[in-house]
Amino acid sequence: MIPLDYFGFNHVYKSFGQTKVLDDFSFSVPSGKIICLIGPSGCGKTTILNLLAGLEQPDTGSISGTADLRISCVFQEPRLLPWKTVSENISFVLQDLTLSRQQELIEMYLKAMGLYEYRDSYPKALSGGMKQRLALCRAFAFPHDLLLLDEPFKSLDTPLRMELVQQVAGMWGENPRTIIFVTHDILDALLLGHFILVLSAKPAAMLDTLEINIPLGERDIAKVPFPVYYNHILALLGGKTNSPERPVTTTA
Amino acid sequence: MKNSSLKTRYLAPILGLVFFLAVWQFISGFYNPVIVPSPAETWRSFFSLAASGLLWEQGRQTITRGLAGFGLAVLVGTPLGFLIGLNQTMASIFQPLVVVLQVTPLISWLLLAMIWIGFSRVPLFVVFVTTLPLIIINTIQGIKNVDLQLLQMAAVFRVDKLRIIKEVYFPQVIPYLFAGLAAALGTTWRAAAMAELLSVNQGVGAGMAVARANLETAALFAWTFFLIILGLLTDRLLSYLSRQKLNQWK
Repeated sequence: MIPLDYFGFNHVYKSFGQTKVLDDFSFSVPSGKIICLIGPSGCGKTTILNLLAGLEQPDTGSISGTADLRISCVFQEPRLLPWKTVSENISFVLQDLTLSRQQELIEMYLKAMGLYEYRDSYPKALSGGMKQRLALCRAFAFPHDLLLLDEPFKSLDTPLRMELVQQVAGMWGENPRTIIFVTHDILDALLLGHFILVLSAKPAAMLDTLEINIPLGERDIAKVPFPVYYNHILALLGGKTNSPERPVTTTA
Repeated sequence: MKNSSLKTRYLAPILGLVFFLAVWQFISGFYNPVIVPSPAETWRSFFSLAASGLLWEQGRQTITRGLAGFGLAVLVGTPLGFLIGLNQTMASIFQPLVVVLQVTPLISWLLLAMIWIGFSRVPLFVVFVTTLPLIIINTIQGIKNVDLQLLQMAAVFRVDKLRIIKEVYFPQVIPYLFAGLAAALGTTWRAAAMAELLSVNQGVGAGMAVARANLETAALFAWTFFLIILGLLTDRLLSYLSRQKLNQWK
């Protein structure tokens, strides 16, 4: 049983045709934290998000703690409406709010992401990175209890990626809500995750669950314990490392 | 490069037209004008029809009937296309009927309309039934090609169904709808003239019937050119409107 104010998967099975994606998959984590799912490409991470978002249903098993949650999402692709301007793309998902509240949120997040001057442009005028930032604005502006991030920084260069990681951390700090962050980048996971769930190749199985108690703003990935975590995760994912020993949970 | 694209754009069609006129002139030299009138005779006939006011008077009738039938088809066909495209039950009920509508010969509609609704409304009805399936089928095609990722996005953010139809489906269906409108407009003038020929005594089709009865082949050619020009003009206007609508964001 998953305790109250936790959420997770209970013995979930999911197949697409002959391909088993999840085979008796279970996990539980507390709400209000950033949970990073890390695993090899194609291991079923997106399927886990789709199940959480209600876009897919499990073949058997159940998902606890997500009923009645307002869910927001950043997909791997920006998924913007090309016929709507930057502002309109955000207001499209804010239908339940008053116009003035919509304007307030749009202005706040566009300014935070450096897109405010493009508010009346169409997405065709934005670069790939800007489109992804707009998708982040839309997801943050939408009133949510659970935010799903599906490799949102995949196509971005490292400096922009680091900047966005900091912005996500900052936004979570201002308003802590549950974030499920799917990535295949160990550094992203170490910088953002309160919990890091390491998954095996398909069908996804939980290889390890790491809890990091160091506050988000105080993480220096060059210092202990992060190199240890890094090597441990790398070893689990099949990479070569010098010190693959299991780290202990660390508190600042 | 720029020079060659200018040549392709303007010079080539003019050369094609000159070639066509030359061949026409050449062939007309071998025949009686009652069989094949020359380009000059056709132009004289066109000019005299225009000067007498007949061209405009008859043309106006055809344009009014054509646009009324076409407009009605758009008004009925677009929502019906959406219903069929979005709802499986509606698709099961209506899709076979749309196919029947599409394959029924024009002449059958003409004769049935004369019996059912009287002669005066036959052109409008015939234009309506021949253009309706084109609008419906193109709308359905547009709906089938809607980006599923955008629909998923809207579903996750719990956007209500009506807004999804209006703001996600509709903008993606527009290019298909314009393609349907272009095909339907092409059919409109042909169907209107054909229906007028057999059912009424006013309109371009009726003008053609008179020209045929009087063996005025040059006038028949002139009416035909009027319909061709009308078709080209409406087609150009439609593609201009389509570009205006889509260029903003495409």
